[in-house]
Amino acid sequence: MILEALIAFSFLSALVVLLAPDAWAGRLAFGLSVVPFAGSLYLWSAFEAGGNALTDGGTIAFKSRYEWLEVGGRSVSWFVGLDGISLPLVVLTTFLVPLAIVSAWTPIDERQSQFYGLMLFMEANLLGVFTALDFFLWFVFWEAVLVPMYFLIGVWGGPRRKYAAIKFFVYTNAASLLMFIGFMSLVLALGDSVSSFGLPEITQAIADGGLGEWFGIAPETVAMGAFLAMFAGFAVKVPIVPVHTWLPDAHVEAPTPVSVLLAGVLLKMGTYALLRYNFTMLPDQASALAVPIGIIAVVSVIYGAMLALAQKDLKRIVAYSSVSSMGYVILGLIVFTEYGVGGATFQMVAHGLVSGLMFMAVGVVYNATHTRMVGDMAGMADRMPVTVGILVAGAFGYMGLPLMAGFAGEFFVFVGSFGAEALPYAPLFTALAMFGIVIVAGYLLSAMQKTLFGPFRLETDYEVGRAPVHDVAPLAVLLAAIIVLGVAPDLFFEMIRDAALPVVEGVSVDG
Amino acid sequence: MVNAFAYVPAVVLLPFFSFLIALGAGRYLPKGGAFGGITATAGSLLLSLWVAAAVAGGGEYNETIYTWAGGEQFELTFGLLIDPLSALMLVIVSLVAVLVHVFSLGYMNDEGETGLPRYYAGLGLFTASMLGFVVADNLLMAFMFFELVGLCSYLLIGFHFREPGPPSAAKKAFLVTRFGDYFFLVGVVAVFATFGTAAFAGEGSFPALAAAALPPDGSVDVWTPGGLDVGTWFTVIGLLVLGGVIGKSAQFPLHTWLPDAMEGPTPVSALIHAATMVAAGVYLVARMYGFYTLSPTALAVIAFIGGFTALFAATMGVVKDELKQVLAYSTISQYGYMMLALGAGGYVAAVFHLTTHAFFKALLFLGAGSVIIAMHHNEDMWDMGGLKSRMPVTYYTFLAGSLALAGIFPFAGFWSKDEILYEALVHAPGEPLLFGGYLMGLLAVPVTAFYTFRMVFLTFHGEPRTETARDPEPVRWNVKGPLTVLGSLAVVTGLINMVPVKTVFELKGIDYLHRWLNNEWGGIEGLSSHHYADIGPYSSQPIVGGEVGTVLAGAAVSLGLALAGLGLAWQLYGGASPAEHTAKLGGIKDVLYNNYYLDELQVWLAYRTEDVAGVADVFDQGIIDGVVNGVSSVSLAGGGRIRLIQTGLVSQYAGMITLGLIALLVILSVGGGWFL
Repeated sequence: MILEALIAFSFLSALVVLLAPDAWAGRLAFGLSVVPFAGSLYLWSAFEAGGNALTDGGTIAFKSRYEWLEVGGRSVSWFVGLDGISLPLVVLTTFLVPLAIVSAWTPIDERQSQFYGLMLFMEANLLGVFTALDFFLWFVFWEAVLVPMYFLIGVWGGPRRKYAAIKFFVYTNAASLLMFIGFMSLVLALGDSVSSFGLPEITQAIADGGLGEWFGIAPETVAMGAFLAMFAGFAVKVPIVPVHTWLPDAHVEAPTPVSVLLAGVLLKMGTYALLRYNFTMLPDQASALAVPIGIIAVVSVIYGAMLALAQKDLKRIVAYSSVSSMGYVILGLIVFTEYGVGGATFQMVAHGLVSGLMFMAVGVVYNATHTRMVGDMAGMADRMPVTVGILVAGAFGYMGLPLMAGFAGEFFVFVGSFGAEALPYAPLFTALAMFGIVIVAGYLLSAMQKTLFGPFRLETDYEVGRAPVHDVAPLAVLLAAIIVLGVAPDLFFEMIRDAALPVVEGVSVDG
Repeated sequence: MVNAFAYVPAVVLLPFFSFLIALGAGRYLPKGGAFGGITATAGSLLLSLWVAAAVAGGGEYNETIYTWAGGEQFELTFGLLIDPLSALMLVIVSLVAVLVHVFSLGYMNDEGETGLPRYYAGLGLFTASMLGFVVADNLLMAFMFFELVGLCSYLLIGFHFREPGPPSAAKKAFLVTRFGDYFFLVGVVAVFATFGTAAFAGEGSFPALAAAALPPDGSVDVWTPGGLDVGTWFTVIGLLVLGGVIGKSAQFPLHTWLPDAMEGPTPVSALIHAATMVAAGVYLVARMYGFYTLSPTALAVIAFIGGFTALFAATMGVVKDELKQVLAYSTISQYGYMMLALGAGGYVAAVFHLTTHAFFKALLFLGAGSVIIAMHHNEDMWDMGGLKSRMPVTYYTFLAGSLALAGIFPFAGFWSKDEILYEALVHAPGEPLLFGGYLMGLLAVPVTAFYTFRMVFLTFHGEPRTETARDPEPVRWNVKGPLTVLGSLAVVTGLINMVPVKTVFELKGIDYLHRWLNNEWGGIEGLSSHHYADIGPYSSQPIVGGEVGTVLAGAAVSLGLALAGLGLAWQLYGGASPAEHTAKLGGIKDVLYNNYYLDELQVWLAYRTEDVAGVADVFDQGIIDGVVNGVSSVSLAGGGRIRLIQTGLVSQYAGMITLGLIALLVILSVGGGWFL
């Protein structure tokens, strides 16, 4: 029942905040959002599960299931639960939302109650996405996340907010449709071998060879078609090159706290879904497509990093570097090793924290300078020493400095993929992708040198002083979390491995 | 009995705490947190000495202390490895660190620098990272601390962040070494994929597994990519890890960051060059020497790069005008010698030179710092002159360091450099790369002596050339103290390993460092110079007149060359008011002065990369996003057209419904066979 309570509480808080007066909506939202975080900490401490929620033999923690309705002879249920892959993402979500809310106090100065209400509404749906184990339930949450995001960008965004919001909505929604068709063809091809839309049943039915002919199409073809449709659909969300162009626009226009959640959590919906649907349900199809997917991963890493190198807007730099970081996740998933899949999952959490910190820190600088262009400022360290100190630390975290979370995620992926058997030419793919760590250092160090150091200069007409405590405090908290996870990755990585191993074992590797 | 090894973590943690204290409370503390740093590093030094004593008493320590990630494929752990090599290095690092901390009181605090808490926090973290690297028991942990060392160098080189130069130099230092570390990290990952472990020592360590996997043994099966031959693959791994070494130890072609790093405060330069960052690369090769000795190709490459760098960097030192620039190139050159030694199978010689160099280079930098204080932060040697009589303590200690650097008998550098050249010489026959390395190393000897004494003469001798040089600012005990300690060490450190004396006079047992690194007092099986010589590819061949003859001839040649270089410097710059003379070099001078235009090449490469990024950006915005926007325009336009049929006229709608129904019926009847 605790998961229901968590989700329900978030929905209720959203409603309460929506009705609260603007003057203290921000404080109220923060206070309310701490409760789900406390709840997720309880979940973490009480978590006892083995294996993967979807595969055979896995136990589901905090499971609850109620029959809901029936569609085409298959039951739809309220079915939620956690395993070692979803719990870290739940913790990440509930951790980032309060911090994002605090970071909104300075920049959001109109329609506060609506803004914070939508933030909490989004959190509730995100929690739904990471806990739902029934396809329909999951899909409802999945789609519902788009709505608050659309308004958050479209109403509180920058000058081109409408373009960005519509692009985001239409792009990802069209992708959802593709994914939906893919998944449905899979379910229909399973015929009578499943009686519900529960993801574990469907996964296990596929593993047991339950796929049959569907409209005269061979099961292998259905599976491959479904894999491709779902991969394409989720790829937009991740995003993977070449379907990534909505992301920089959305990030640049979105206000800071929204960017934090967009990069921190929403992108992980894509990689999470890829892991759950494509790589857990259809491992053999994934494995058959290992080389093209490996190429996509490497291209995302290098191409994304090169694009980041070309940017002059600090937020665009971080946005494109997210494309690069997500490439590592794809590489980790496709190699089907313990460290690969586990590292990819860990990287989701690590990137959520690190990119959240970067967006927030850039936001704090923006609050003071009202510009994000590299050429518009220099020597910020002189005026905002603490903020810049944390920003530098965060940038090194992004570059994969050891003993910070980003390094752990990336190293796990690399060490898992180098000798992997599921991916031909794995050493080559890994070595190429790893070059991303040099390019990321290149663009972050140059951007920092130009904006943070040297003699102070600012092209815009604002007085820059030390940032208020409530701007800096979330940065410090995030940095602390990044270091804790970097020093002790096993806090999450242990349970992640536990849930990742069945996925790895699900693939049949030749030789 | 209390176990010294239980306190090894404290050696690392003490400077780390000083980092935390300086960062958190430095501005409330006297001297900006300096005393915390001094206490912490002094504590580390005492504990290190105790640990070294414990090793001398037959002890050893190789324990995993923390599981970072406990996978089933392989565990990623942190551990401590204390053997003669790491115990020696602990003492060197903590000794130099404590002296640099004390010196900083004079260089930073007395000079009224701001941002002192940040400075001492950086020094503390730097020392802690290096000490953590030294005690690492596996390659992953070594890599992690190696990177942290890089971070600290960034923070300290860019200490004066309000000026334009230091942030740029800091960026370059991190970026160039990161480029090397990329290869290192690929190497780490490859080691895990190949051996399933990255431990340095013990039965199941990767050097031991590698030895067992190679023919003729072949008792262990290891993974290789695409069924590659194990020997070739090990060479590849060795060269990958070497990438990190070349970056951090500033070897050609990744040495370019180091002269720029002179933008950092001078005590930081002393720390970077003598005991921390730059030493890390060479130490890493020594740490996993059991792996490198398995690959003759990797060794030959190391020797050649080392010899080449030694000569190459020395030539650039000849024309520099700034005191610290000369020292920077000398560092690159001296680490080249250490690499030459490692590549030539001279494990002990390399560690010996690492030790002596740590002392005399820290001494020279601190001496330069003292001169810089005296000169009110002017570093141009042409503005100095005649400082000899005005700052005698600095002069005589600096002179001792210079004699050591130039390799003049009997100063410390003579013994270690001589041994390196000897090792290279006796192992060179039949190894063209190694012989080339030896020749370049030998050629670098007179050049080194020349630029060193050019520096000494220009700075301290002759007539003062400026008003400041005539009346330099006095320095205090906190500057003279460290100089005196290091000056004495630069004179006597050679005593720990007088191999030529042992050979010539047959004095058994005075080659203490050889015996130390050969585990004669204590140590870990498989990590001894004897073991490395056993598995290594080289056999010694005396060149002239047996062993004694070769030793004497080698020493005579290198000493003669050094004296020749010194004499030339005396001839050209020893007068009362020396002339520049560099114009005599003609076009070569410009090439040397501009560092063979390698910086320009790297900058050019960086700009071309940015150009490629720019093209990618245009492609992304124009083509990829263009398609996306194109799709949306088409659908919008299409929607616009379709909207035309929404006329609002009921009769038209009724007509269309009817037409649609008919069409549907036709399709269903043909396709679905309704009428059949």
